[in-house]
Amino acid sequence: MARRIRTTKNLAKRMDLQYFKKPHPLRRWRHWLSILVPLVAIGWFALQRANSQKIYSSGPLSAAHAVLGKQCNICHVTKLGFFRAAVSDDACAKCHDAPAHHPDKVTHKVSCASCHVEHRASPRLASTDDSSCTQCHANLLTRSGSSQFERVVKDFDKQHPEFAALRPGGTDPGQIKLNHYAHLRPNLAGPSGPVQMDCQDCHRLTAMNSSWPYSIPDSAPKPLPVAGRTDADMRHPRSRDYMSPILYVSQCAGCHVKDLQFDKRFDQAAPHDKPEAVQAFLVQKYSDYFATHPRALSEAVAPERILPGATISVNMNLPLPVPRTRQEWIDQQVMLADRLLFDKGCKLCHVMIEGNGSLPTVTKSSIPSRWFLHAEFSHDSHRLLTCTACHDRTPESRQTADILLPSIASCRSCHEDNGPQHDAASGRCSECHAYHDWIKEQPSKGNFTIPELRAAAFR
Amino acid sequence: MPPDAIVERPARPNNVQLTIDGTPVSVPQGTTIFDAARAHGISIPTLCHQQNENPVGVCRVCVVDVGQRVYAASCVRQAEPGMTVKTNTEPVVGVRKTLVELLMSDHPSPCARQQHSGDCELERLAAQAGLGQSRFPTRTTPRGHDDSSLAIQVDHESCILCDRCIRGCDDIRNNWVLARRGKGYQAGIAFDNNLPMGESSCVSCGECMVSCPTGALTNRGVVKSHLEGDTVDPTFLTGLPVFENVSGTFLGLNRNAIVERRFKAGEIICREGEFGATAFYIVDGMAEVYLASPIAHVKTEGGARGFLSKLTSLLTSRDEDGRNEESTRSYIPIDASVDLPYRSPIAELGPGELFGEMTCMSYYPRSATVRAKTDCTMLEMLRNVLDIMQRNKTFREQLDRTYKKRALDSHLRSVPVLAPLTADFIDHLREHVELLRFQPGQVICSQGEVADSFYLVRLGFVKVSQHRPGGDIVQAYLARGSYFGEMAFLTGTPRMATCTALDHVEVVRIPGDDFQLMLDRFPDIRRKLETESAEHVEQNRQRDAQVADVSMDQFLSQGLMEAQSLLILDLDRCTRCDQCVRACADAHDGVSRLIREGLRFDRYLVATSCRQCRDPLCMVGCPVGSIRRRNSLEVIIEDWCIGCGQCANNCPYGNINMHPFPVEIDDLLHPGRTVASVKVKATSCDLCLGHAEPSCVYACPHDAAHRVNPPEFFGGLLKRQKIAKQ
Amino acid sequence: MRIDQTHRTWFIGTMAGVLVAAVIYVPYTLTSPEGANGGTAVGLVYGSLASACMLFAGLLGARKKVPIWRIGRAQTWMRGHLWLGFVSFPLILFHSGFRFGIGLTRALMWLLVVVFASGIVGAILQHFMPRLTTERIPLETIYEQIGRVRLQLVAEAQTVIDEVSAALAGNVSQATAQQRAASASAGTMGGVTVASGLQVDEGASAQLQEFFRREMQPYVANGGSRGMPLADRSRSQSMFQQLRLLLPPNLHPAIEDLENICEEKRELDRQVQYHRILHGWLLVHIPASYALLLLGAVHAVMALRY
Repeated sequence: MARRIRTTKNLAKRMDLQYFKKPHPLRRWRHWLSILVPLVAIGWFALQRANSQKIYSSGPLSAAHAVLGKQCNICHVTKLGFFRAAVSDDACAKCHDAPAHHPDKVTHKVSCASCHVEHRASPRLASTDDSSCTQCHANLLTRSGSSQFERVVKDFDKQHPEFAALRPGGTDPGQIKLNHYAHLRPNLAGPSGPVQMDCQDCHRLTAMNSSWPYSIPDSAPKPLPVAGRTDADMRHPRSRDYMSPILYVSQCAGCHVKDLQFDKRFDQAAPHDKPEAVQAFLVQKYSDYFATHPRALSEAVAPERILPGATISVNMNLPLPVPRTRQEWIDQQVMLADRLLFDKGCKLCHVMIEGNGSLPTVTKSSIPSRWFLHAEFSHDSHRLLTCTACHDRTPESRQTADILLPSIASCRSCHEDNGPQHDAASGRCSECHAYHDWIKEQPSKGNFTIPELRAAAFR
Repeated sequence: MPPDAIVERPARPNNVQLTIDGTPVSVPQGTTIFDAARAHGISIPTLCHQQNENPVGVCRVCVVDVGQRVYAASCVRQAEPGMTVKTNTEPVVGVRKTLVELLMSDHPSPCARQQHSGDCELERLAAQAGLGQSRFPTRTTPRGHDDSSLAIQVDHESCILCDRCIRGCDDIRNNWVLARRGKGYQAGIAFDNNLPMGESSCVSCGECMVSCPTGALTNRGVVKSHLEGDTVDPTFLTGLPVFENVSGTFLGLNRNAIVERRFKAGEIICREGEFGATAFYIVDGMAEVYLASPIAHVKTEGGARGFLSKLTSLLTSRDEDGRNEESTRSYIPIDASVDLPYRSPIAELGPGELFGEMTCMSYYPRSATVRAKTDCTMLEMLRNVLDIMQRNKTFREQLDRTYKKRALDSHLRSVPVLAPLTADFIDHLREHVELLRFQPGQVICSQGEVADSFYLVRLGFVKVSQHRPGGDIVQAYLARGSYFGEMAFLTGTPRMATCTALDHVEVVRIPGDDFQLMLDRFPDIRRKLETESAEHVEQNRQRDAQVADVSMDQFLSQGLMEAQSLLILDLDRCTRCDQCVRACADAHDGVSRLIREGLRFDRYLVATSCRQCRDPLCMVGCPVGSIRRRNSLEVIIEDWCIGCGQCANNCPYGNINMHPFPVEIDDLLHPGRTVASVKVKATSCDLCLGHAEPSCVYACPHDAAHRVNPPEFFGGLLKRQKIAKQ
Repeated sequence: MRIDQTHRTWFIGTMAGVLVAAVIYVPYTLTSPEGANGGTAVGLVYGSLASACMLFAGLLGARKKVPIWRIGRAQTWMRGHLWLGFVSFPLILFHSGFRFGIGLTRALMWLLVVVFASGIVGAILQHFMPRLTTERIPLETIYEQIGRVRLQLVAEAQTVIDEVSAALAGNVSQATAQQRAASASAGTMGGVTVASGLQVDEGASAQLQEFFRREMQPYVANGGSRGMPLADRSRSQSMFQQLRLLLPPNLHPAIEDLENICEEKRELDRQVQYHRILHGWLLVHIPASYALLLLGAVHAVMALRY
């Protein structure tokens, strides 16, 4: 039997009474680490802080603002001494004049940052989250209490209303008689033989710089300048997003110049212009003819137009009086040409309003250059699609009044809420809608110098 | 026992003529042959006879051939005219040799005397006779030892029943203590009515020991034989009243146990807390007795806060940092005939007074510091001499007188309960009180007796125990200043507990009648006593209830059964974070009273922290009574602890720690200056007085520490284990 | 601290809290632009709740510094520390919208992850390490005092060796006295055997001394001592068996003492290991949490500023 016997007393006697006050490695480590680690943390912090204030950043700046990353105070203007440096709208407004959205209608003003959340590394700060919009539009309140808009729009998939033009009763306001069906038939008579027309023969992005196939070469106008902000309907259009307007000279004249032929004695067709201009042109043309043809009075030639493949003549119901003087001749010739043009050639496309005893007037074409008044659409972004993929009714459309705008259903076939997560295109509000009223935007003046933005260490 | 017939010496001057070993000899009539031979240069060996005692002729070693049928014992046989005495013939020598051989067969050789001084008369004779191994069988029945006297050791085995001691005690000193006892093999000497020597009425005069021829009665000698100071001439001592009637030889034997010391005024005589073995008797001059230890408790600063700062312990006095629930005592009991007033712990001692008795008798540490006030002369003595002195009748009278005159007052007043006593009543008591001494183990009063006295403890420790069906249970240890025996008077019942002297105890006995008178005259005292005794009864009842019927080896062997409250740590939960220890230290001024080490019981660690034992061994021996039990169960150490470490030694579980701390004390040699010194104070768990929960338990973040009542807490556990075993 | 039945209230309370926070979080993150954000009102509420929780959890350290203040039992604080500390993590995730951010916020998130993970590890350790320690180390002592105890073990072993040598040298009385003293102080009653008149190999004493000097003394005196023969229990047993063969049977108890001392030393070594495991995680947890609270305060001030 071993003799080592443990009793409470001899166990306790082994201990130093004050041991717990003396440092022990584990405790000492803990102590020093407790000092060291926070010091390292603070040191790291101070080092970072010495370089820039970026250490306080809650996240990377958006791509556009990344350049400001070293200068927090560009946006975070210090107020209230040290304690307040939150970004106010004033800071944004230094560079961005972003006119408010329906300022007279919205019930509460929202700050820039409430929608444009910075420090999230967003590639586009402008493309805000749907929630930015739905915070109001999920239950739209207006000051007047009434609204022409849908009051509850929470998402694109289900609640977004059909486009206004396509709602029942909507028609195309255009006054140019156009039969898309007819134009797309095969073997149309082109300027130099039969042609099969294509959408792009007439509908092209404004930015396209190629020649129109059906233009009149010499009189083909230069590509139109970028339709700018001067066009009230075209808010902030981009030249690659929208189609060029349909112009006679560039898109129609190639085929339809013959419809402005008025006399086979002249090669030249009447100008595509207002009736007054046409009238003046005719008077001029005939006056010149009379001067070069002294015997014109004796030529009793009915004015006929010579058109390729066809002879069309004015339907003469009335026996024409024989002109006796030059003036009478000219008047008669002009009258006949007028009848040919105004009653036939122009009317092919235009709606003419008879002027009682005077020249008719041409109804304004009224072709909408933008269908979405509160949204934007980029044709360019959709260029991988055939035109008829969306504008599916177009090949069968015989009426001008047919609205060929694709319905929202066709959008929804690709676009969904949270589209990118479901192998679909995005259905976010900001895909189509802009919040700010850019029309009212004022040009902004620069405020900063390069060092102010880029100085390496500030403060 | 009355003395035997004393041989009358005839007064006749007539000479007697006789021949001893061929030499004609003339001696006065009535002279024994032994004396006659001796007077003429012939020595006859003897054992039982001594010159200064009356001969009794029991050993027969002194036999001589007187020409008669039988040999005669020369010590008692008177010389007769014409007698022819042969002391040295072959037959005589042969008889003597046989006698010695017979005695030697009973005698443990070497006996104590032979071992110490080589002067055992029997063994000398045996050696002279050329005796080797005795041919006779030895006695098989032991007769035993008696070590109860401090001065004299009694070895009944070595006793040859020569009666020299009895004659010395009775005839010479007239103390009438010694006599014979028993018969046959059990025959021997007896003190009083066969009491242990220490408990007998023996006055330690030393005569018996001086008389004894063998090792039966020997001087106990001294533990420490090199006392500083001047050796004292025994005659000087016997001249002192306190050593009156003490054998000079005996004092001579104890020469190195008592010295004379002279102290210059201001010199320190002894320091509190020191261990010592001597008592001091003031022969001349005055001495001051006081507590040099600051009355305070220990406080530690630093350490806990910084790693670099040095650990320092400080003292906090009660005035600065009072502790709740402290005693309201106004006197600190010390080891002298006076008590020290709490507020200014200093007193004076004069000639004829004795101090350091407890230290000397029971080896308790010094309870106070004594400094010579004037140049003084003292006798410093070891316990055997002190015993001699204390047993001395003159001294006892003197002590009794002094006590009644000087100390009774302060003693009675130092007991809070007795505070209302008036001076005239104390004067009345002076006449009636009695100072009683008890030896260790002696019963002062027993349970069931009819009460006749009330006692105040003056010196030593009294154990109060109650006999229960399951065994005795210690209820308390009473130290100086405590009292007992009041309960029976209050309730009119027989004694409810037995009170036993634990060491050398002196009690003041107040006779029952006087006590009754006191109760009648001072209703306040009665009321207080009643309140206290009601508390005691209630505590006892609770304690009884706690003693559940659990029994398990380990449980018992670890002493857990003894504990009233245990600090246990659930080891399955305890992460050993030491938070309890730190909390304890914080709660007690930086001194932890808890050591997170100890034995395990089941999955609990029984931490080293006061268990509030039922039998508080720690309280035994505190020289100043600063460790005590509160009215509930906590054992606390009062601020006047002098740091002797007695309680820490006594605690079987190591739960009391001695905490050293530096201190500036008054330089006694150069008043007004202070010197750096190190003192210790005892610290022990006080269960964080005043709080619902001890700090260690309160601060345990892991729900591991608990203060529990062991039978209650472990009861369920033990029962489960029992069932599991079955 | 062990998580047991008594934690039911805390568990239910905190889980309910997390649930409520989560229930609020879902619509909040869906409706707010760009998802949850610390800067919004709800985000700030999450952030301040979480920092309050963390602060409370951190205050446990301070609470432990003043163990005697009666400001709630330490175990209540510990429960709070565990559960509120636990809750702070989901709350911070709600606060940050499950983003880690950059710069300061990223550092904070990593610190939180470190603190939280180490806390979980610690809580798990506290569930089984104490029991393991209790079971495997019966001779456990106070960790901080192991060095001191080791020295005392060496001294004790030295005494035993001296006794045995004395006994072998025939110096019976000395051995007796010492052994008696030793056994008396150890609380035994007798049972001491002393060699006397032994007929033993003369070299036994020298071998024993050699063993002590070369094996036992360095092993017991130094912590760790991996790779020493005595560190291995079975090798130790065989070594002591050899010693027993060397010595007379009545000295075997002394060998058992020596063996027991080695056993105690082995257990102390193991205790050191266990203690390091049980408390090592604090070396990560506490410093990291200080850093967390410090940088968290900077974050709070600066985030409210910007």
